[in-house]
Amino acid sequence: MSIPPFSIFSAVSELFVTALVFYVVRRNWTRRPFPFGVFLVGVLFEACVNVLYMANRAAQASSGAEHVSTGLKVFYALHGMLSLLAYLVFVILGVIAYLEQRAGRFFFRAHPVLTWSFLALWTVSIVSGETVFVVRYLL
Amino acid sequence: MGTAPVRTGRAERLRAPLLVALWCLLGVDAAGGLAIFFARLAWGTTPAVAVHVWVGLALAATYTAYQIGHWSRVSPFRARLDYALGLVAALTLTATLVTGLVLALPWWRARASGQPVAYPPLLSAVHNIGSMLVLTFVGAHLGAVLWRDRGRR
Repeated sequence: MSIPPFSIFSAVSELFVTALVFYVVRRNWTRRPFPFGVFLVGVLFEACVNVLYMANRAAQASSGAEHVSTGLKVFYALHGMLSLLAYLVFVILGVIAYLEQRAGRFFFRAHPVLTWSFLALWTVSIVSGETVFVVRYLL
Repeated sequence: MGTAPVRTGRAERLRAPLLVALWCLLGVDAAGGLAIFFARLAWGTTPAVAVHVWVGLALAATYTAYQIGHWSRVSPFRARLDYALGLVAALTLTATLVTGLVLALPWWRARASGQPVAYPPLLSAVHNIGSMLVLTFVGAHLGAVLWRDRGRR
């Protein structure tokens, strides 16, 4: 099966976005200035490219044009919902961290349980996405 | 100095019937939309679309009324993060409601004829993306406003 170029682009770019997310959190964790520009690039990129990809894949899968097992479709849907939740939490926590930084506080450092929970959520979301790619195209 | 009246005023505005109605309608429509997204992808079904459409209509009317009052209070636009997030939230919510109403047209026609609904894929994708961005940026806008007030204490 040939792999659509947009699928390859999305699967690879998700890894770069993940690196960006961890970079933003690490900067704040180590009490260095909040990289708002990097955060903004990540937020816009994720919204414009990868959410668009997810929505298109969802439309294709639900149209019945592709033969995909029901179990895999449920996994797609769960991954989609998890990605939405992870993105939503990243934007909200990033905005709060930026505002806290301006007041001289380091939000992620001050809330370790929340920070690690978010990073775990993000990691599960990314791993599930890469698993979808591998199962769909490489196995 | 002066923060207590601000917080009191905000507390009253957060409990205003129009805003509470808006939250309820947004919550119901968001939950319905997510259920449709999940079911359409997983099983090819679209449960409770009629509820989603009618609540969407009520949401559009309520949001229009709310936004007019909100903008008359907070205008003009200021170069601040909470304003920028509010603007993005308003634009995405408007786009999501408009695409939702356009998507409701083929549903309405198919409802009368009993034929399966053929939603335009691009419009459907824009509606899905918009709804996800609405939840994200409404949350971020509210978080930014409340956190700004918290920082003033």
